Amino acid sequence: MNRSTTMIMKIDESAVVLSLLKSDLLPIEDVLSEFNSKLQSSSYLAVCNSLSMLLQDQKLLLGTERLIAFAIIYKCYSSQKPSLNPFLSEMISAACNEQLEKSERAFLLHLLQWNSYNNVKEILKQSAVDYIRSFDPSTHDFPELGELQREYGDKADPGPSSHIFADYSLKNLLHDPDVPRGCDPNSPEFDVQPGGNPRIGLGDRDEVLSELLGNFTMEGLPPRWIRPCPPRYQVHQSELLWIDPDNKHELVWDDKMCADTSRGATLRDLLVKGLKVTLSPTEQEEITTELTNDPKLVYHCGITPRKLPQLVEHNPQIAVEILTKLMNSPEIVDYFTALVNMDMSLHSMEVVNRLTTAVDLPKEFLRMYITNCISSCENAKQDKYMQNRLVRLVCVFLQSLIRNNTINVKDLFIEVQAFCIEFSRIREAAGLFRLLKTLE
Amino acid sequence: MDSRDSLSAVSSDAARDASSLSEDAVLSVTSTLAKSALSCFQSGDFEECIDILIQLDQKKHNDPKVLHNMAIAEYFKGGCSKSKKLLEELNCVKKQSEELASAAREQVEAVNPGTNASVSKYQYDTTLTILNIAVTWFHMHQYAKSSSILEPLFQNIEPLDETIALQICFLLLDIALACRDAVKFLAVFDYMDKAFCVGFGSHEENGTMQLSSNQVSKTSSLLSSSVVSDTLKSDLTAAESSLCEETLDYDNMLAEMEAEKRMKPVGHIPANNILKTLSERSFSTADLKLELQLYKVRFLLLTRNLKLAKREVKHAMNIAQKRDSSMALLLKSQLEYAHGNHQKAMKLLVVSGIQKEAGTSGIFDNNLGCIYYQLGKYEASSRLFAKALRSCSSLRNKKPVKMFSLSQDKSLLITYNMGLLYLARGEPLLAAQCFQKASVVFCRQPLIWLRLAECCIMALQKGLLEERNTSLDRSEIRANVVGKGKWRKLLIEENGHVEHAGSTQCRKLSLPLARACLSNGIYLLNESLLSDSKSDLQSTLSVGTNETQEASSADHGDANTNSDLKETKGGMNQDIIQNSLSAFKDVQSREKQLLKQALLANTAYVELELEDPIKALSAANSLLQLPDCSKIYVFLGHIYAAEALCLLNRPVEAGAHLSAYLVGQDDFKLPYAQEDFDQWRMHTSSECEETSDSPTGNTRDSVFLKPEEARGALFADLAALLATQGHHEQAKHMITNALTLLPNNVQATVTAIYIDLMLGRSQDAITRLKQCTRVSFVPGRLEVRAS
Repeated sequence: MNRSTTMIMKIDESAVVLSLLKSDLLPIEDVLSEFNSKLQSSSYLAVCNSLSMLLQDQKLLLGTERLIAFAIIYKCYSSQKPSLNPFLSEMISAACNEQLEKSERAFLLHLLQWNSYNNVKEILKQSAVDYIRSFDPSTHDFPELGELQREYGDKADPGPSSHIFADYSLKNLLHDPDVPRGCDPNSPEFDVQPGGNPRIGLGDRDEVLSELLGNFTMEGLPPRWIRPCPPRYQVHQSELLWIDPDNKHELVWDDKMCADTSRGATLRDLLVKGLKVTLSPTEQEEITTELTNDPKLVYHCGITPRKLPQLVEHNPQIAVEILTKLMNSPEIVDYFTALVNMDMSLHSMEVVNRLTTAVDLPKEFLRMYITNCISSCENAKQDKYMQNRLVRLVCVFLQSLIRNNTINVKDLFIEVQAFCIEFSRIREAAGLFRLLKTLE
Repeated sequence: MDSRDSLSAVSSDAARDASSLSEDAVLSVTSTLAKSALSCFQSGDFEECIDILIQLDQKKHNDPKVLHNMAIAEYFKGGCSKSKKLLEELNCVKKQSEELASAAREQVEAVNPGTNASVSKYQYDTTLTILNIAVTWFHMHQYAKSSSILEPLFQNIEPLDETIALQICFLLLDIALACRDAVKFLAVFDYMDKAFCVGFGSHEENGTMQLSSNQVSKTSSLLSSSVVSDTLKSDLTAAESSLCEETLDYDNMLAEMEAEKRMKPVGHIPANNILKTLSERSFSTADLKLELQLYKVRFLLLTRNLKLAKREVKHAMNIAQKRDSSMALLLKSQLEYAHGNHQKAMKLLVVSGIQKEAGTSGIFDNNLGCIYYQLGKYEASSRLFAKALRSCSSLRNKKPVKMFSLSQDKSLLITYNMGLLYLARGEPLLAAQCFQKASVVFCRQPLIWLRLAECCIMALQKGLLEERNTSLDRSEIRANVVGKGKWRKLLIEENGHVEHAGSTQCRKLSLPLARACLSNGIYLLNESLLSDSKSDLQSTLSVGTNETQEASSADHGDANTNSDLKETKGGMNQDIIQNSLSAFKDVQSREKQLLKQALLANTAYVELELEDPIKALSAANSLLQLPDCSKIYVFLGHIYAAEALCLLNRPVEAGAHLSAYLVGQDDFKLPYAQEDFDQWRMHTSSECEETSDSPTGNTRDSVFLKPEEARGALFADLAALLATQGHHEQAKHMITNALTLLPNNVQATVTAIYIDLMLGRSQDAITRLKQCTRVSFVPGRLEVRAS
């Protein structure tokens, strides 16, 4: 992938640079100031990079062009010390390259301001052609590569690369395999001749320069890592949505609007009355029909666990009716608690007895109720008559429960047996005792 | 409780007090008006209805019930388009009712029974308003909101009127199905089974029901039995003759359907009108029984308990015999689809007859499209999805708009299917558009975010990303977690923009988008894994209570022989359903694990593409730390981690990741076996039984390295690593191996050229460049094709 698109020179920039390279008759100084005026400093890095690539091929640029190219590289970073120039290492190695012209190497040493080469300003006042013409090789001595590197190398900026692939990337310009190795591209043999016929191998150096300038990127040729793309997550059968038609969820019109708000008012009135007196058969029937007609009315009839004992005392049948309908209520436990805790009476027992046949009572409730009954009998010592009556009631109640298989006698066997023995003087208790014996 | 006592007492007092003549007159006038408003509403005359309501409002100033009905009538008058406004108004009514109710309560507490207002519990009851709000949210596909507002009603459902209670329950069931929340579904379903079915059905009916279910299990095949009506049979044979001879010819199929349409003009009787009487008082027990049975099948299909689903759907067919069996047939079709019996599924789909009804023809097309997708016939599938979308939009534009038709608007679901299809066909831009549209419904599901990221990655590979997102665009995405508990929101900042995670804005595909999607996906997945572990805790508790319940019912069975049979039967069902629930939970958690692997692998990949090796490394490391990670993802984790470490200048650690697969000094073993590769491809069908013969697991879905190629990648990457370390001779050996396994791989070739050049063999490098078929020598520019 081509990551550094921003590092590529723009087409117009490369044209400018190319024309500047060719201005070998102007003083280099002027060339550089034109460069400054025509290019943004933001593109310096790209320009220098491209130029340094071109400079690597010793034959691509003419001698004068090479000088200007190096001068541009120098100029771009001239505001800083030479050792901070990112292309320092290229300049150093060129300055020490025996294969290059001595004039060029001397020029570079001037740019680097090496020892006695300190008159860079003077040099730049000449044109590139003049410099080469006036160059006298005998007056110069050239340092060793190591010498230069010692001077600048360890101070050199590590450059823009940050990871090992970039550090090890190669410059990616290769000779085309179809051009014979020995061929000197600068010989006039294959240059475009004005008016001449095109020939195989014909090439225009300017063309290759501008294309190369436009295409160099900052990155060379690093070794490439194979980065497999993760596989696409499997489409499970259930991800593909099979659709079923919904039920019709329509908006609901409130039909209680302006309706008789006294829903259940009669019932409530009757029940308030029922807390105090026994209701007449017709009144009871009315309550039953109201409750049957509107199965949820029971939740709004005003009978709360606190009021339940009163209703049980006066109208046990109605109480049974209401409790049966409240079986699914989340508050039913509270009602049972009220029933267990109320004083023992014929009516409360009647209610429980009826409930056992009508609904499934929780076992704990029933057990607690029976225990409560037994202890009530034991506690009613002051009033013998009352106690006798209670015991007889409890016995009848228990017999009924046992006969109807509502309770498991084994759970309460000891308790009930003790009760029978304590009250064995009462006929019903003896009967219950006999019943228990038959079950053993 | 006390306040309720006195409240009703007061109200009765007040009612008595208010029984003066003038009050009665007002009452009768308003109630007459209310009645005529209702009849206008029912006949669809909303203008008139609103006029009457305005009169009522003048008589009874600010009565919340009048305002409530007004809001609803206005909504219908506006063609059911202003859902937001409706919600606002309903919320307003709710608030008002609550205020009035608490004011009334205060009055009562002040013991002031002589007030003129007749205080009744009903008058300020907000149940209906809440239900309507929930219904509206439901139609807006906001299932979580709908569910959360309904939940309190469900918790205290006993005192509610049966019809309202039923409506709440059915809505909750549909919400649970839409959210694929099996636990929630079961809670509601259990309640309904107890509260409505047992209560309704007499013992006699129970008996016949059991008998008939026995019959069903005896008959070998329902379709061949004489139970099936004649029309059904002829339909079937017609479908069979058209389908079996020319197997699965899409055009034939369409022609067949067209012919059918011409013969029978589209009727206005809904195909499955099970609930048409829901809002009315009378509700047939048998309808309810069928409906619940159908829901049971849907639950079993959801939990992928296909065996039991098969049994229960037969039972449903049996109940549906004399009624409407289209829904049962549709579920049967879905069952066969889940089994991978696509031809059978197709037949049943046609027989169900839902294509004849305008409201459901889109659903038919969608489901048929699913079948064709599984058969790999993408062309037909896309035509069907497109057709389904068309019929949905025509449904939306039909006048007058019914709420019902809105609820049947499944276009967002179909759009999601369409997105999957585009992704399978390699069209990431279109796919992403679909997913972005569908995200209204699915934004809480991690999978859709993975799919969106996949679209970005695919677009990247195909070179469809408009701008390269390089070093300039390394902007970080910050996910700020705002609020706590259920109000917690994810605030994503990207280049200064602030938007919610569920934003539906169409955004251009890019790698930063992929990164954002993946981080959303991971966040949501972690959240759901967290809540899973919480609910596991809860479910162990609830199992405990279940056991005690069962124990007590068993004890009870001893005492009461009458209900013995019923009880044990119910208990057995309960066991099976609980089993299939826990099996489904296992499947789900396995899928979530796999999804997590995929999300992390994709994250590592995207971070590498975005040149952020630190994040890539951390994603790859978390991937490698997952327990029971699939071997393919382990391989990817090592490769990504190694590359990230190279980019971080840590070559030794990078080498360690690669050498995990080394055998001896210089050979790699296969990072994963052919079975792993096949298993990955077959994963689709491995979940359900009896699918070994299904063609779903073909290669079309996964373009991934074969095991040998993966081994080649290891060689190439080690070569690249060695080359950077200066071990050029060793690297040369590695890259030669790599190129024998991956002869035309671009990256490996480039590395090989690099090594050649480093060894000073530029001639070899050029030869290599010429030999590689994936190099193009473009005029003016030498480049290596990226794909």
